Amino acid sequence: MILEIVVLVVKILLLVAILMGGFAYTMLLERRLLGFFQLRLGPNRVGPGGMLQPIADALKMMLKEDMMPAGADSFVYRLAPVIAGFAALSVDAVIPFGAPIHLLGLTISLDIANPSIGLLLAFALSSLGVYGIVLGGWASQNKYSLLGGIRATAQIISYELAMGLSVMGVLLMSHTANLEGIVLAQKAQGWFWLPQIVPFLIFMVTAIAETNRTPFDLPEAESELVAGYHTEYSGMRFALYYVAEYINMITQSGLIVTLFFGGWLGPSFLPPIIWYFIKVIIAIFVFVWIRATLPRFRYDKLMSFGWKILLPIAFLYFVGTAAFVSGVL
Amino acid sequence: MVGIFIIGILMLVGAVSVVVLRQPVHSALALIGVTIGLAMLYFILQAEFLAVAQVIVYAGAIMVLFLFVVTLLTAGKEEMEAEDTLPGQRWAGIITGLVVGLGLAVVIATHPPAKLSTALSGSFGGLHDLGHQLWGPYFVMLAGVALMLLTGVIGVLVLNRPETVNYKSRLDLPSGVSLVDAEQEGKK
Repeated sequence: MILEIVVLVVKILLLVAILMGGFAYTMLLERRLLGFFQLRLGPNRVGPGGMLQPIADALKMMLKEDMMPAGADSFVYRLAPVIAGFAALSVDAVIPFGAPIHLLGLTISLDIANPSIGLLLAFALSSLGVYGIVLGGWASQNKYSLLGGIRATAQIISYELAMGLSVMGVLLMSHTANLEGIVLAQKAQGWFWLPQIVPFLIFMVTAIAETNRTPFDLPEAESELVAGYHTEYSGMRFALYYVAEYINMITQSGLIVTLFFGGWLGPSFLPPIIWYFIKVIIAIFVFVWIRATLPRFRYDKLMSFGWKILLPIAFLYFVGTAAFVSGVL
Repeated sequence: MVGIFIIGILMLVGAVSVVVLRQPVHSALALIGVTIGLAMLYFILQAEFLAVAQVIVYAGAIMVLFLFVVTLLTAGKEEMEAEDTLPGQRWAGIITGLVVGLGLAVVIATHPPAKLSTALSGSFGGLHDLGHQLWGPYFVMLAGVALMLLTGVIGVLVLNRPETVNYKSRLDLPSGVSLVDAEQEGKK
């Protein structure tokens, strides 16, 4: 019993450490890659190849003055970044990083919790992240922040529907909502990205929209809204929004890998956890690639794309998958 | 058991705050707290699917829409007390609430229903159990609710359909000028 609790605490600390480290180096990776995409070098001065840049950034953020606008709602203003950070970090608790390992006579599964409804829990927790954005935008009492927050709400609500429908096919094919079960089902049936190619693409698009990244970064469109919902934030609170955004990206990459690319599965010359991280890094690279390639959507186009194109296609494919799995087709 | 009491107290505080707090956004936040508390109660009952559905539907969707409207309407406005149009309604509300709550508590304490003491089935509120229930004995009710919701959705669409306006007559275009010309004129 005590040993189990110790293992759990160690796993939680490890997960947070991995995610925070992952955040720092995902950000560096993105800045370097964006540099290369734009024919420049990116940050390469601090340490070899810029490897110490995240530490310099963190120091800078911590030493900055933390300001709050005079008209701001102080309680909600302080609460909002915390909600964003919590929602981003908590989702990863249900994502399995690798096959269960055997250590000291214990079988340790590489996730914090393995509930039978893991996928739905991931959705529930990540759906709370929007509060961080809309509350931050409202509490700043700044019209640009407010507009950013309101845009984020409408966008995330709209794209969540298509996202939810796009994973239904995976659920139907694997007969379980447990993420480990989904990975094991892919071991038996082959990775789901091919039979579920349309939902995979829809999930990818909605994942970008849910993390507010280009081309769906209208909540923080700097050409119209200064910085959107985090205009008034500075110092560590601002940093917390950044942490949330990048960890959300890592989480969505993890979900894409788990749902469509067989999670930790791979040839046996590398351990499963390495396969998992390789796949996640590839997914993150695609996120960065898309950011470097595509310009921002217009807001009405974004809405009609979500409601009139993604949602019906996801629904049709879901009905088709249901017919196929149940043997009607 | 201790968990149930802690969550219950938190939910009660949240529920009272929804009514008492002046700032609508704070009330909405308290309401979110109550829905999450309810989800936790489901978790304690091991009704995992119900709990997650509660969070996804209420905290993740409905309350977001609430906040959307509330933030849009209250932005930049000073907090102010609406005038009491019905004198004494506050006290009447408090007293009625207390009486009803106490009455319910007394009834439950003196006549505990038999079902409270029987154990729930192991898979109560889980994904498979709920699915079998809904698509088995309760299928007719499920179809009825689905039909009702569909009616609601179609009703919203019909009520909000854009008016078919005759733009030409509204713009009072001089004869011989087409709408396209007028549009291009406007752009210049």
